[in-house]
Amino acid sequence: MLDRHNERDGRTERERPLRPSDEMGNMREREVPLAPVATPDVINRWLDGELPEPTGLRGDAARSVEFWRRLGEETDKRRRMMTPAHLPNKIMAALPPLATPQQSVAPWYRKDLRITPMVALAAAAALFTLGILAAQALLR
Amino acid sequence: MKSGYASAVKTTVPASPIDQLEADQEVITKVLAGDRNAFGILIQRYSDPLYRHALGMTGSPDVAEDILQMSFIKAYQHLSEVRGRFDAWVFRIVANGCKDWLKNIRRTHLSYEEDDQATSYATPEEELDRTELRDDLDVALAQLPPSLREAFIMKHVEGRSYEEMADLLGTTVGALKMRVHRAREALQALLEEKYA
Repeated sequence: MLDRHNERDGRTERERPLRPSDEMGNMREREVPLAPVATPDVINRWLDGELPEPTGLRGDAARSVEFWRRLGEETDKRRRMMTPAHLPNKIMAALPPLATPQQSVAPWYRKDLRITPMVALAAAAALFTLGILAAQALLR
Repeated sequence: MKSGYASAVKTTVPASPIDQLEADQEVITKVLAGDRNAFGILIQRYSDPLYRHALGMTGSPDVAEDILQMSFIKAYQHLSEVRGRFDAWVFRIVANGCKDWLKNIRRTHLSYEEDDQATSYATPEEELDRTELRDDLDVALAQLPPSLREAFIMKHVEGRSYEEMADLLGTTVGALKMRVHRAREALQALLEEKYA
């Protein structure tokens, strides 16, 4: 952030005492190095809807109110944004077949056993082969 | 009597959460019984706040659309797993989608496309000024850590109460107030030279 050279309350930026937020040097998760600007409690409470808009403020506090009033106009506009008209239909068209709970969570051993002639024949052949192998093993 | 900024913030809490819960459950039952089109009711009911969230978090209308589409498809596929409020459940899907996107993408410059809403700005200079603020706010928001951006957007753009935010994010009102206050400080630090 650039230094400010304009005088507001009779002092330059360097002469002004540190604000409480200047000491919050350990702001977690910060991605950009910022010199935090103090947002007075009264302004935070106004923005949180706990107090009416503060009046009669001067200096930094008055500038903050003006700043947040301006930003409020922009956020108000964003709050009125709607989903693009085509999107709901696009989503509906992209929906896959719904997996019923039975289909998705039933383990194999709980599913109904269907025996077709081919399955029965294969099972019989497998059992016959196993029987022969077992008999050969016993006769050795 | 509250005035100005605060009074303009409307919460999205439904008039009767229990009615809303029952109404959603009724639709979910229909969908699970095979009425696929009933899912459209849930999309219509919740897409606007979810779109605003995704747009605020990503800064890109296209990405917001993609995230919303993927989230609703995921919700549809796992609809039988909904326990409690559908809106809170689908919000978490969207919020996680946004965070995953933010983890994977390094953005250079993103801005909102012009929308077709009428503006109340009389002169071209005012409109230009406002467009500039919009772009600058996007750039500033993109520099905030995701958790601060999320809290700021839920409070200021979506107009949610702290209680609703805490409910949706599974954290405390105090922690969220702290995040919003930090986001405000950071945004003001980034933008005040130009706008304060």
